[in-house]
Amino acid sequence: MATAAVSPSYAHAESTANSGIWSWLTTVDHKRIGILYLFTALSWFAVGGTEAVIMRMQLQGPNGRVVSAEVFNQLFTMHGTTMIFLVVMPLSAAFFNFLIPLQIGARDVAFPRLNAFSYWVYLFGSLFMNVSWLFGMAPNGGWFGYAPLTTMAYNPGLNIDFWMLGLQILGVSSLAAAFNFITTIINMRAPGMNLMRMPMFTWMAFIVQFLLVLAFPVITIALVFLQFDRFFGTNFYTMTAGADPLLWQHLFWIFGHPEVYILILPAFGLVSEILPTFSRKPIFGYPVMVYSGILIAFLGFGVWAHHMFAVGMGPIADSVFSMTTMLIAIPTGVKIFNWIFTMWGGNLRFTVAMKFAITLVALFTIGGISGVMHSSPPADLQQTDTYFIVAHFHYVLVAGSLMGLWGGIYYYFPKFTGRLLSEKIGNWHFWLTFIGVNLTFMPMHWSGLYGMPRRIYAYDAGQGWEIFNLMSSIGAYIQALAGILFAYNIFRSRKHGEIAGNDPWEAPSLEWSIPSPPPDYNFEVIPVVTSRYPLWDIKHPELTTEVPHSRHGDERNDVSMGGKHVGAFHDHLAAGTPEAGVNPNAKQASSKVSLKTAEELGIPMPYPTIKPFWVALFMTLMFASLLMIHKDMLHLAVAGVIGFACLMAGFLYAWLTSPLEPAHH
Amino acid sequence: MPFHSRPRRLAQAALTVALVALLAACGQNHPDSIFHRRTDFNRDVDYLFKVLIYAGTAVFIFVEGILVLTLIKFRKRPGQPEPEHVHGNTTLEIAWTVIPLLILILIGIPTVRTIFKTEAVARSDALQVEVVGHQWWWEFRYPQYTTTEASGKVDTVVTANELYLPIGKTVNFTLHSRDVIHSFWIPALGGKRDVVTNHTNYLWMTPDSVGSDEFNGACAEYCGTSHANMRFKAFTVTQADFDSWIAHQEQPAVGSETTGPALSADSTAKVTTATPGVGAPPSAGAVNAQVAQAGFIAFPRDKIPASGVPETPLPAGLTFDDNLLASGNVENGKKLVTTGMCIACHTEHGVTMMQAVVGPNLTHVGSRTTIAGAMYPNDPRHLARWIKFANGMKPGVGMPTFGIGQYDPVTLKGIVTAAGGFTDAQIADIVAYLTSLK
Repeated sequence: MATAAVSPSYAHAESTANSGIWSWLTTVDHKRIGILYLFTALSWFAVGGTEAVIMRMQLQGPNGRVVSAEVFNQLFTMHGTTMIFLVVMPLSAAFFNFLIPLQIGARDVAFPRLNAFSYWVYLFGSLFMNVSWLFGMAPNGGWFGYAPLTTMAYNPGLNIDFWMLGLQILGVSSLAAAFNFITTIINMRAPGMNLMRMPMFTWMAFIVQFLLVLAFPVITIALVFLQFDRFFGTNFYTMTAGADPLLWQHLFWIFGHPEVYILILPAFGLVSEILPTFSRKPIFGYPVMVYSGILIAFLGFGVWAHHMFAVGMGPIADSVFSMTTMLIAIPTGVKIFNWIFTMWGGNLRFTVAMKFAITLVALFTIGGISGVMHSSPPADLQQTDTYFIVAHFHYVLVAGSLMGLWGGIYYYFPKFTGRLLSEKIGNWHFWLTFIGVNLTFMPMHWSGLYGMPRRIYAYDAGQGWEIFNLMSSIGAYIQALAGILFAYNIFRSRKHGEIAGNDPWEAPSLEWSIPSPPPDYNFEVIPVVTSRYPLWDIKHPELTTEVPHSRHGDERNDVSMGGKHVGAFHDHLAAGTPEAGVNPNAKQASSKVSLKTAEELGIPMPYPTIKPFWVALFMTLMFASLLMIHKDMLHLAVAGVIGFACLMAGFLYAWLTSPLEPAHH
Repeated sequence: MPFHSRPRRLAQAALTVALVALLAACGQNHPDSIFHRRTDFNRDVDYLFKVLIYAGTAVFIFVEGILVLTLIKFRKRPGQPEPEHVHGNTTLEIAWTVIPLLILILIGIPTVRTIFKTEAVARSDALQVEVVGHQWWWEFRYPQYTTTEASGKVDTVVTANELYLPIGKTVNFTLHSRDVIHSFWIPALGGKRDVVTNHTNYLWMTPDSVGSDEFNGACAEYCGTSHANMRFKAFTVTQADFDSWIAHQEQPAVGSETTGPALSADSTAKVTTATPGVGAPPSAGAVNAQVAQAGFIAFPRDKIPASGVPETPLPAGLTFDDNLLASGNVENGKKLVTTGMCIACHTEHGVTMMQAVVGPNLTHVGSRTTIAGAMYPNDPRHLARWIKFANGMKPGVGMPTFGIGQYDPVTLKGIVTAAGGFTDAQIADIVAYLTSLK
């Protein structure tokens, strides 16, 4: 099988699918879509980070005048919206796309074209929302968009229209992707991969998809009410008509709190992959890690009103939501301890990925503790809407989610591209991030407790806030520097990084058994899975024989299903890589890899198609047409909605009537 | 791993600097800190905060301690054997489920007790204050002080952005919003409670552990463009001073009331207890004499700490001939205010024509220490510019532009006399009048 062609494996994937921009526009390959998500989200991270740096320049000293009050309000609105919807969620989606099929031993997701559609909707939705900057009408109602401030009476510009329509568009993307991944995980696992053998990342991703499916309809309803109010004059949030502004708050936070777990659980999953690999030990308490993830997600729907302790719900509601909120600390704490004991007794290798993962464990703990402090309503009254809570959720989302995601990027970049990120630059990136994050967000605890409200564009000297704000600003600049180093590392390593080989980290799960980057069909032979850690079973069978994850009586190397021999893990390894097996020092060897194409192997692959791109574009334009209502061009709005809806339907029809892939032989 | 050394040294240096900076910060003055324990509310919160921070610190030290120990103890060394594959330990896992539960019960019990204590109905003899949130200023009404008119009861003590509280007496705030959601917060005394449109919220506290002092308040819920400029002052004063202040507030301002025909025609003068001066408005000297007689009518400015004096810089390019301020004509200013555009939005007790409630009540505006949502000090220099071009001084403000020659960014028009504009000299007269409204 080893033909003599000398080409690095990363180049191979590009030659099988056409390279060039057209191939990216038409791709339905989950790995390429994952890469699109990754780089789009990183680009928005640069935008959202820039917004944060401008705000920190404004607040660096008392009565800063870098930007006006109105621009500052737009900045913090867009910073929050961007970081949540355009950065952390899509970064997670990048990993879902890339990893879920690889981790469960599948050739693609269940609906490859729907997957492409999700990405394009995300891209167009994010562009739509940010185009508002060009008109000077960026959203200005805060990421939480409390009514009645977002109603026409108090916000007659297009700002809120961009925001609510943009969120609706992005919701379509998230929901389509969620159904896709649920179907994929339920139906497309390789033989032997039962639920309790799934890698922890796939488990957390699985839970997140249910959160998305259950939480997004709620914000959709809330936004539809707002759209009807703003466009058609209904009275869901019209105060003069007697509306109750708490309707929006309840709907928003029923979505908004599960959203927090949508943002953090994927990072938890990545950390649960990284820590075992670099400890050379399996995850401690796998079932408990799974159940605690499910429990966090379940409880996450019962705590929304802890965002509303100050609105005057009364002592009973405050007490109930206080208790449910405290309960969530338990499964979260269990995860922290299980991670620590995963490392306990291991051989810890401090790669950059490992450092980021450990930092999540260390710093998320701070966010968790300040979270419990917020769960006590009387204390929360003094803390909420101050910089204390800004510190809290940045410790959760930056020191939590982003650390996990950065660790995930260092860990999986070789699988994405075939090359390792530079550890040397990575170390600078890590330490500057670590210093920057703590220097930015730790002092905010103090500025909040010393009375500084959040979302203010200016403050007076003499309140004792100057030193903390100065520290936060310097920290933000350090983070910006770290971000630039990160970008440089990615840019440089894509072409000049070390060749990674199949398995640069000696990791246990399926995705490391195939070449880096994987061929478009992923697995030449679908692997048969007999344990949670298939690659470790091969390398260290003596260590994994008597472990609870392998069913008693499973034959490790020769699996039958229904009396019929379906293959073995070794078959897959032999087929997938010429070197047959795992070579930790694959840097030389893999440059000689040559893989068969899908055609040669007779594996039917989905046709590339541009149709999801057009459907997504026309759907976005259909939503955008509604803006014309507020420019007093109702006829144009109606024409636009109908016209773009027809175009969308036309391309959707063409999509649904064209075959996904060649007929099976 | 030699390539780690440089960034790691950087981290150590940064940590040292951060600690030094934090220590330096701790030595500073923190007038708005929530830890001053000046009210029952803040003492309850302070107790709860201590429970939380002690428990949290213990958890933090424990978790980070084990983590750091693990990182040091089990870092990879050459020649180490493969670690044993441990998959879990039921006893341990039950332990770290149950122990946090116990800690949470420890926190939960005082939490619920404090919830029911602080959210109970305020004692019946409390001072009642009605707080009305506006974009972007605060209206404070004292509904226990009213007069009866044909139209019903009318509050006689209505102020803006300045709150007077008697020391040692429970004050019960009733919170309303006139427009969007705001949040009422005096960090050093207690709170916060959202001011929710179409809802009535309550908040009470007893400032019993304070002297005569000034406290900063702020809107804590994002409420639009000038959210940051929706601040206010709370003054704690002795009961005697408070009574004196109330008595004074219930009357029209010293020097405002005249028996001029244009103003006294309406027999339903709002303030029944008024003892107006006679004839023409008194001179500044006479006003001062009357103010002195009235006892405590305003918190003395020289006792306000520096942290309580607004420092918002004036916008560049906004000019005013300050020399005119010395020669402002009170009488002329009064005519401009009580018959001009001001009556469209403002109230002045004792002036029949001025009963609008869009903007702050001007009855005793001269005795207030700040203007514009506690964004600027209330002195002739700022007041003059405020009247001339409020829009340049406070983003999004509802107060129109009055200075002739100014360009109003809201109406997109230059201001002329016909549009109700004022010259600098006229503004100086208005300032003289408003300043006299002690």
